[in-house]
Amino acid sequence: MNPTDRSAASEPPSEVTDDIDEAALAEVMRVTPLGAGVLAGSAVALLVLGYLAIYLLVFLPRGPVG
Amino acid sequence: MTDRPAEVHEQRILGTELLWAFGVGILVAATLSVVVFTALSRDINPPSNVERVDPKTLHLSGEFAEHNLGTTVGPDGRVTARIIATQFMFVPRCIAVPRGRPVTLRIASPDVIHGLLITGTNVNTMVVPGFVAQVHTEFTRSEDVLMPCHEYCGLGHSEMWATVQVMTDDRFKPAPDGRVSCAQR
Repeated sequence: MNPTDRSAASEPPSEVTDDIDEAALAEVMRVTPLGAGVLAGSAVALLVLGYLAIYLLVFLPRGPVG
Repeated sequence: MTDRPAEVHEQRILGTELLWAFGVGILVAATLSVVVFTALSRDINPPSNVERVDPKTLHLSGEFAEHNLGTTVGPDGRVTARIIATQFMFVPRCIAVPRGRPVTLRIASPDVIHGLLITGTNVNTMVVPGFVAQVHTEFTRSEDVLMPCHEYCGLGHSEMWATVQVMTDDRFKPAPDGRVSCAQR
């Protein structure tokens, strides 16, 4: 066990700093919002398509009501 | 110098959020447009009728007295079905309606809140004691369909349902007093 491991093991997990490359983090953060946008956009698009399908194929053919 | 990337990052997040908000705004506007378009072009609206009736004397006289329940064809040809929703049945248990003609359903409750829907159609309303629920519709298929209570009204709720018999014109024959009953089978 090297000295680094020993110090990490003695500290609580929340105090241990991650070994993160700042450049890699910046790169990930540059593309992550795009992925989140695509995921959320796909989910909303499916929801809207479902709504339109029910509206056009079920609600309107059932005739007027009021 | 060190906080410039963070500023750029926050600007990008703000841009993404504004873009998303714009998209959601368009969706909300499109949904409301569909509702307004449907109401104006197809005359499809949520049933709405504020008309008071005394639930304590509902069965004694007036429109919802027992002899007046069921389907009636008026002198002007208008078809009206009057129904009482009570724990735990609809009166009458079978409602005769014509196919392809405007029908007005008028429903009242003497006890608790009920609700009804007619399967396969857009008819769906609450029946609140003290008010007359009214739905205008037109049935497009001749068939027998179920009309269950869809608002929990007590222990017998699951037994509370009626049948709507949609008849073609050759079978929908009013009696001399204008009343129409379900065909016996």
